[in-house]
Amino acid sequence: MTTLERLEKGLLCNKSQLQREAAPRSPLKGALKNPLGQYALFGIILVVLQLISSLGSEFGIRIIPVSFMTALGSTLIYSMVSMGFCLLLGYSGLASLGTAGFIGIGSYCAFFCFQEWGLPYIVAIGMTLAISIIIGVFVGFISLRIEGIYLAIITLGLSEILRYALQTIRATVNIDLSNITLFGTRIDKEVVFYLIVAVLLLLIWITNNLIKSPTGRAMLAMKNSTSAAQAYGISLMKYRLLAFVLSTVYAALAGIMYMMYLRSVSTSMSTLFRLTTSLNILGAVIIGGAKSIWGVLAGTFIVFGLDSMFLQSIPLFNDNPTLITLFTGILIILVVMFYPGGLQQLFTMLKGKISAAIGKRREAKYGKGI
Amino acid sequence: MAKAFNRFALMRLDRKIKSVKNRAKKRNILERHKVTVATNKQIRLANKQLQKSLLSSLTAEEVFDLKLQQALKKYDLKAKWEYRKVNHSLAKSLFEAKEASNEQLMQKLMEENRAAVDALDKKRADYVEKLESKKRAYVQANKVDEKLTQQNKQRFEKDAEEQRRKLRQLYDEKNALATAAIERFDANTASALEELTKKRNALLGSSRKELSDNVILSVKDLCMYFGGLHAVDELSFDVKKGEIFGLIGPNGAGKTTVFNCITQFYKPTRGELLFRNKEDVTVRLTDYSVHDIVLEGISRTFQNVEVIKEVSVLENLLIAATRFYTASVFEQALHLPILKIEEELIKQKAEAVLELLGLSTYKNWYAFGLPYGVLKKIEIARALMTEPKLIILDEPAAGLNDTETAELATLIRRMRKEFDCTILLVEHDMSLVMSVCDRVCAISFGKKLALGTPDEIQADKQVQEAYLGVSDEEGGRQ
Repeated sequence: MTTLERLEKGLLCNKSQLQREAAPRSPLKGALKNPLGQYALFGIILVVLQLISSLGSEFGIRIIPVSFMTALGSTLIYSMVSMGFCLLLGYSGLASLGTAGFIGIGSYCAFFCFQEWGLPYIVAIGMTLAISIIIGVFVGFISLRIEGIYLAIITLGLSEILRYALQTIRATVNIDLSNITLFGTRIDKEVVFYLIVAVLLLLIWITNNLIKSPTGRAMLAMKNSTSAAQAYGISLMKYRLLAFVLSTVYAALAGIMYMMYLRSVSTSMSTLFRLTTSLNILGAVIIGGAKSIWGVLAGTFIVFGLDSMFLQSIPLFNDNPTLITLFTGILIILVVMFYPGGLQQLFTMLKGKISAAIGKRREAKYGKGI
Repeated sequence: MAKAFNRFALMRLDRKIKSVKNRAKKRNILERHKVTVATNKQIRLANKQLQKSLLSSLTAEEVFDLKLQQALKKYDLKAKWEYRKVNHSLAKSLFEAKEASNEQLMQKLMEENRAAVDALDKKRADYVEKLESKKRAYVQANKVDEKLTQQNKQRFEKDAEEQRRKLRQLYDEKNALATAAIERFDANTASALEELTKKRNALLGSSRKELSDNVILSVKDLCMYFGGLHAVDELSFDVKKGEIFGLIGPNGAGKTTVFNCITQFYKPTRGELLFRNKEDVTVRLTDYSVHDIVLEGISRTFQNVEVIKEVSVLENLLIAATRFYTASVFEQALHLPILKIEEELIKQKAEAVLELLGLSTYKNWYAFGLPYGVLKKIEIARALMTEPKLIILDEPAAGLNDTETAELATLIRRMRKEFDCTILLVEHDMSLVMSVCDRVCAISFGKKLALGTPDEIQADKQVQEAYLGVSDEEGGRQ
């Protein structure tokens, strides 16, 4: 309706308007139907969990153990990486196995900026982002020439080179954040957790916006048919570079957060910067459903969170850690075999089935509609 | 070296011109939006004020009526299921009785049903009665002076009229301001553009070419070689403004290659492609990259349908309009108002195009699994989304049945009329080509055989030979 039309009819002053005023809809219900409201609720739940945990430990009650919160925090960090990978794989259709290397860059940049050079907070983050953007552009240019499985192999090689270089520079990095303050507060683990939640919500919001804007659609067009995309003015170079830059920036942010949260990484020992992480991220995105934000979050929780948050407290799994890997492996096989769209597809299907069952029951009770 | 430098400078100039235009467009949209926002805000405020005076002008009866209607609506929603239950059980037993051809039982059942429905009706009447009695009590309790309400009502009407007048005035004022601002901006933009165009012309210098007035696309000595294979060889033709031009030839004649050369999917080996673009400027198509062709006013469809199957039909059209958004990626990531406004505008346009092609029912369907004829139409709709001057249709009738082909012919003529564009099509279906095209060019093995009206082409000896082959005797005689 144009403004002029609204002007003519717009002075409603009729009774239906009054009726609506008399019985307003609950604002909370409306907010929860909106995806942004759902993400906000997710963030609030995470913050409340941390609050309960820290309050409990203050009074000496173990409601939510600290180890659980640590596992939750690192899972959230991995979900940042998955979010970038969702844009890359689910929307642009580019497979990359170099994710671990990109996380490594973030971590090492954070280490050098905070620990060695003692730069201020904003400068450190800005520098990390700048470096990751440069690397993203570089890999994006590669992806213009090479596609599919070959791109995965090349990014894998790149990631291994990065890891080896980082390992040679410093085999183990430890960060000491006791001198650094953020907005006047000392950074302890609790504050970093809130920071992680804030950054994750920001990334989710940005991803959601991009997916629903022309950029997301252009990426999908590029994934489905490069010739149609080009004929309608979508520059492959622009969007491939954009996808890679976004995913490296997300991974680098996750790297910074990881360094701040867990404070030490032994590059030569841990699997963080190795192929395992890249494959796990790939698995998480595929299990969850590569095109949905909730799916990606759920997939990351299953792959990274399930064992460290719940299964490790069960004696059977604690004694045999291989069982956990077995469990995730079987899950991936099942999902790929029966629900290629991931958990998202399963969820949508279940939703459809439930509503169909309700309809059937109603029909049996009251008969068919006329 | 100098040539490469020249080309680079030209590219930079083009980019600059584009950005100037984009900025102007964005500013205009925002300026118009300001008017909408300001007026809407005033409308909301006025409504709030009027509501108060309206409420005071209502009698107690009317106030209660508002509540009563809602209660009744709720009741009806519940009662629907009761009615349905009664009718369903009747239908079941009626069917059984009919099977047994038991007339008496049927009669009895009908009566029973009548009674049950009557009981439900009575229940509703009782409920209404109850509400009415409540209303009477309410009116009794809240007596209002009749005269006062009447006065209030008059005052309200006067108020509403006053508000409407005020708003209209406000809108006109704001609109005039916005129009003035836009005109000022446009003048600035025009002078900037003129300067840039002058620079561009100077850069082009002697190599600048002009098409004659009625020609929109001119292909001159076009060659496309793949190694030793001469897919297109020294092909020349002109397409006139507003005509439907057909390109025909046997399989492997190089028709699609010509199209790919025009849309820059292939960079031609040699030859010149001149095109009169949206701003009536003659441009050399080889200066542009694939994804910039659409901005000059050429859009194409594909031989094997290339609809994006993962998104809905409407979104397919929005994808085609990607370049017509002025919002940058940054603005998109933060969902700034400019994106929302543009999205709204482009969606309206897409819906209009869908309406024209009769695809409105499929608007929110996923393109995956739609019938082939519909997919072909979606491709055409997508081509129309980019406000093209020249539409290139690559075998639009392939895979369609006779009725659909006839429909397509009407559609093509309508497209030319309503969108004021030229159409260039490659086709195997001779009935379509001969009925629709104004002029036809026949090619074989990349070389031009004949060019003329459909009748001339049909009569041409060379064309007949290319299609039907030459018999041995005839070949011998030649």
